[in-house]
Amino acid sequence: MLFSIRKGYDPALPGAPRQSVEDAAPVGSAAILGADCPGLRPALAVAPGDPVRRGQVLFTDRRHPAIAYVSPLTGVVEAIDFGPRRTLSAMVLRRTGQADPEDDDAGTPATPPAGDARETLLARGLWPAFLARPFGRVPAPDGTPVAILVSATDSNPLAPDPRVVLADRGPAFDRGLTVLAALTTGPVFVAQPPGAGLAATAGDRICAVEISGPHPAGLPGAQLYRLRPEIGPGEVWTIGYQDVTAIGHLFETGDYRSERVVALGGPRALNPRLVRTVMGASLRDLTAGEVAPGGRDGFARILSGSVLAGREAAWLGRHHHQVTVLDARPEARRLPLPWWLGRPGRGPRPLIASERLEGLLPFGIPPVPLMRALAVGDSETAERLGALDLVEEDVALLSCFCSSGADYGRLLRRVLDDLAEAA
Amino acid sequence: MNPLTLSAAADAAPFLRSRWEPAEVTFAQAAALLPPLAVVLLAGGGAQALLLATSLAVTFFWETLFALLRGRAWSWHGVTTALVVAVMVPAGAPLWQLALALSLGVVLGELIFGGRGFGFLAAGVVALAFLRFSFAAIPFAGDSGAVAMATLPGAALLLYLRLISWRVALAALLGFAAASLATGQPLDPGPTGASLAFGLVFLICDPFGAASTNAGRWLYGALAGGLAVAFDTAPGAAVAPEAIVFAALLASIFAPLLDHAAVLVIARIRRRRHG
Repeated sequence: MLFSIRKGYDPALPGAPRQSVEDAAPVGSAAILGADCPGLRPALAVAPGDPVRRGQVLFTDRRHPAIAYVSPLTGVVEAIDFGPRRTLSAMVLRRTGQADPEDDDAGTPATPPAGDARETLLARGLWPAFLARPFGRVPAPDGTPVAILVSATDSNPLAPDPRVVLADRGPAFDRGLTVLAALTTGPVFVAQPPGAGLAATAGDRICAVEISGPHPAGLPGAQLYRLRPEIGPGEVWTIGYQDVTAIGHLFETGDYRSERVVALGGPRALNPRLVRTVMGASLRDLTAGEVAPGGRDGFARILSGSVLAGREAAWLGRHHHQVTVLDARPEARRLPLPWWLGRPGRGPRPLIASERLEGLLPFGIPPVPLMRALAVGDSETAERLGALDLVEEDVALLSCFCSSGADYGRLLRRVLDDLAEAA
Repeated sequence: MNPLTLSAAADAAPFLRSRWEPAEVTFAQAAALLPPLAVVLLAGGGAQALLLATSLAVTFFWETLFALLRGRAWSWHGVTTALVVAVMVPAGAPLWQLALALSLGVVLGELIFGGRGFGFLAAGVVALAFLRFSFAAIPFAGDSGAVAMATLPGAALLLYLRLISWRVALAALLGFAAASLATGQPLDPGPTGASLAFGLVFLICDPFGAASTNAGRWLYGALAGGLAVAFDTAPGAAVAPEAIVFAALLASIFAPLLDHAAVLVIARIRRRRHG
């Protein structure tokens, strides 16, 4: 199948990464973030100061005790931070020893895991790699999707090329796909750039889908919209291509591989390229010596994720495949306006229904009515328009082009939370 | 031109923002209005300049008053309203009548909704309609060939910046032609186009009064074009500017309904597609 998506926009940015993978210097610490599993309240299996091995269970979800979260590296538990209502904020792990992530498999079983796919994924910490649509949350342990979508595409600005990342990981990727097929009775779609040739011989129910077009064509949301008539209604799970490789590796060798190839790019990246690091890596360690001088006092901002949907962060996010280095925020300037001219920056700005907005959303959703519904929190209208097919990253372009300065990702999340509560 | 820039001030995603904020939109619209304004100023002389000064003073007064009362940033969106009115109202019109109509237009069309972009009508259209309702003796201008020629560069600028919709403009022309043919009104590209140009670009196509979905834009444009024929009182191929003002006003009032209908149809198509 070939889908060419017409709507969208590819922003031009300096600092595109060189598409060849290099090993990054090992990071000193990594973290599991509450931001990647909102509302998760952990049932802890370790305490601060405990030594942990890569792949060891750190905590489970209190609501779904079957879902385990495991350590991305061998070291000690440095800190456990909680957010409101005992939700997880971050669990920080410090590496001990200088071992490379590839080698420090001390004590992990070298045999393929027994038991069925679902139990293994839950117990070995790869379940949180899935996101269920609607709502974009980790699926329930007993859920069954009507289809699984693997997006081996990435249209974010300055993103890594999945073809390069998967170049020497083909067997593990194909093995991972067969594991995914065991989780659903429906198809497993592998979205990929045209001519990538991924999953060509992986087996029945595993369908290669070629996608071309501007951003957000590489995001699961746009692909799912095109595939929906084939799938029919129901819950669909999405998973990143690097997690599929990790699943394949786990089922092949019994080893939990936490490696993550990320693109290090952006206007202030000294040497934009793809680097191999670990999940949840400390971005301070990862970008040490990678930031070009310049900007205000040489400061820079480090984003986990892209300029469109990323966040300023100290740790690499669970679902992020890139790190973007930007100039630091300038000091707020205050215009010396007389008081009777009003206070600048006060008050809302309007949404101007420019025709430009029409070409941005390849979801069959009229943008301006959606933006208005999101802006006022009208979840009923938003649902009718198709908001359940979206997650935050899908509407990032609207926030870029809207004159109101609203963050439609955040507004969409609020509406989705309302709808999830009502469902 | 790259429409997006890295926003240094953004503290959350997306860190890339459009450089088009409402103030810049007003700037582009004002720039587009300058050539036709120059034409009428050259033709009208001092009286027209006085009319322009009055219009600007009235809109600035209301913008400032509302900014003060609401504790908001002062905006200069009213300047485009003033310029549109200054082009459409001929020199010699009583200034107090102009000030009254403009006040009603700016306040009721825009400011009571919270400012430009929060209402559903174009303030210039409302002001001109009020002027026509209340003081019918003033004939509208803005339909000369020179004004039409001077409108073209601004129209090209606004189309390039996508601040006016080519769908609305085309639909309005098609609707106008279809209604003219249906009613047997004479159509002559020269006089008809000249009388239509300014009103089409700055009244009917105004993004703040037009529909906001693509299907709605086609319907809105066609409705405005058709109504312009229905309201036309001028003999011959030319259209009376009053007809365009009222066509734009009525079409703007129906625009939310047209959008609503478009959304219903889109939602239904989507439900059928997704099962």
